[in-house]
Amino acid sequence: MPPALDWLEDFESPPPLAPKEPLAPGELPRAVEAALWRGNELGRTVTSVCNSGWAALDAELPGGGWPLGSVCEVLASQPSVLEWRLLGPALRQVVADGGQVVVIGPPRCPHLPGLLHEGLDERQLVWVQAEMPAERLWVTEQLIKSNAAGAIVAWLPQARQEQLRRLQVCAQACEGPVFLCRPEAARHEASAAPLRVHASVGLDWELRVNVFKRRGPVHDGMLVLPSVPGGLSSVLTPRLRKPSRLISREVTADVVGSTGVTALPRQHALQ
Amino acid sequence: MLWAALVLPLCLDSTPSSDALQGLGTWALQFTPRVAVVDEAVVMEVEASTRLFRGRRALRDRVVQESADLGVTAVAWAPTSLAALALARVRKENGVRRPVGELLDELPMETLSATAKHLTTLTQLGCRTLGDIRKLPRGGVSRRFDKELLGAMDQAYGLRPEAHTWLTVPDSFKLRVELMSRVELAPALLFGARRLLMSMCGWLAARHAGTTAFALRWAHDTMRSKAAGTGGELVVRTAAPMRDLEHLCRLLAENLAKVELLAPAGDLELEALDVHSLEEKTASLLPDTVRAGESLTLVLERVAARLGPERVLRPVLVEDHRLEWMQHWQPAPQPMAKKRTRTSGIPQPTFVLSEPLRLATRGNRPMYQGPLHLLTGPHRVEGGWWHRVKEGDAEGTKNVVRDYWVALSDHCGVLWIFQERLANDETAWYLQGSFA
Repeated sequence: MPPALDWLEDFESPPPLAPKEPLAPGELPRAVEAALWRGNELGRTVTSVCNSGWAALDAELPGGGWPLGSVCEVLASQPSVLEWRLLGPALRQVVADGGQVVVIGPPRCPHLPGLLHEGLDERQLVWVQAEMPAERLWVTEQLIKSNAAGAIVAWLPQARQEQLRRLQVCAQACEGPVFLCRPEAARHEASAAPLRVHASVGLDWELRVNVFKRRGPVHDGMLVLPSVPGGLSSVLTPRLRKPSRLISREVTADVVGSTGVTALPRQHALQ
Repeated sequence: MLWAALVLPLCLDSTPSSDALQGLGTWALQFTPRVAVVDEAVVMEVEASTRLFRGRRALRDRVVQESADLGVTAVAWAPTSLAALALARVRKENGVRRPVGELLDELPMETLSATAKHLTTLTQLGCRTLGDIRKLPRGGVSRRFDKELLGAMDQAYGLRPEAHTWLTVPDSFKLRVELMSRVELAPALLFGARRLLMSMCGWLAARHAGTTAFALRWAHDTMRSKAAGTGGELVVRTAAPMRDLEHLCRLLAENLAKVELLAPAGDLELEALDVHSLEEKTASLLPDTVRAGESLTLVLERVAARLGPERVLRPVLVEDHRLEWMQHWQPAPQPMAKKRTRTSGIPQPTFVLSEPLRLATRGNRPMYQGPLHLLTGPHRVEGGWWHRVKEGDAEGTKNVVRDYWVALSDHCGVLWIFQERLANDETAWYLQGSFA
């Protein structure tokens, strides 16, 4: 879908006209300039944002962060692999500002001791166990409409286009970020979400993010964001910072045998 | 003085049911303490309350709108209660625009209840309107008719003070209503229940209180089958004291959606079970930052009403080093512990599986969507012999003997797996969580 069409949806009223001044040729009045969006630049209509935690990602997102007041899709090849790592820095700010984080229908049980490392708090986390697709959508819509949660993270493995559009319309009055985690297959379906992101994990403690829909030019290529999940940074040795090098060496050696937990004959690994 | 008269429709025996009058009176007590029942109507004096309810216009709009839901057919405003009642009977609303004498003179004389006894005589005298009665000589009227007629005329025209028996706020709220028709589906009870809830909200407002629990009971009619019993009851609880009609209605609707009526219901009864005083919103000059929408507690309450309270959860940390018992989840409205639990800084996964998943191994290497690469470990967790559980007849302990490892997978990120150390070198690998 061309991004320009979506951009028109929540078109804002232009600022009041400035007093008239003679214009140089080729220059536009300020009000026109503000309302004009050129196809080769990032959209600026996103009024308020929430920092994503990575400068490289902020630079690629319209407005410089995750948008508030609209839904944002996060696509991953399988659920419960990278959600907290990607959204953690943004949620940390929400929690620090006293907002409540509501998670709707996560694929696995959230584990609070690990989430504490991501900056979440036991008093500011609510888990809504919604299983059926209709339940997930209903709960998400109720929470978005109420505008009471600091941030909403919903897992929607099955959602149709018009249902997402409904959520997006509701979210325009919401002041917190709304993240919808969806499977990778949804990439080829149209969606009303103004920002859609595909993320995957890399071996060397990194997230690979592709912003494939945004208000602005198409983003090709892959952003590589360094990310060590909660608490692990304290136990990683410099050698473990680059697991890909270890793994290429590891192919010849038995992993358990090499660390000496169980004494096994070496030839067993060489089979 | 500004009087409002709210007229209820008449029942078969030419008086409205006392339950409906009582409900309406209770509801009206939120506007003013001066509420009285006169014949088939409720009258209230609201002059002193106009400023609290933001002026006459706003008060009038609110009263007219809300009273229509309670079944009121006509509302009228006048300087005296009898004049308001007389105007309401002929469906004229505004009795304050012109002097009350002019307005009353035009009305038919039946609008004043005191004339009912002498209607024949008055008609034979040629009187049709209240003005005609007023033109008769006072001395003759007081001699020929009784003093009540003259007194009522004077009270209606504002020449003599009125005396009313004021309604008082009852200490407890219990109201019954007969439904207009038999209701066969539980969600349809909401229409009748909404009236009762309105009365209850008025009663709560008059007492400056909010409710945390109320019960809706319904009685089956006499045509029921024997198995159906006499009726049913539904208790709705809220997290905080509350008298917001819309929220209570929505909560009740969610709860009613799950109820199945065994037989058609004819009567409804509402009782406020727990009532607590409610802190009012400040009427400060400078507005606080306004948040559009309702609070999170209310939304979660509504979600819990539909999904069930055990599916809206908050975490509670427990000081334990075994992963399964590090936290448990409790329903959201329950209070959190005041004291914070200590936490260790050791790395923990952010998602855990409800049951550890046994992994296949190939060449002593655990497999999960391809081979796993063990990064750091072992993190040894041992203990739990003190944790006794009973499973059926057998009594056992939740003792664990595990070595945890951080594993890296090509496809599913960083995982938290453990090797169970069993007797006789029978080890097994399990997947328990992921650093998502």
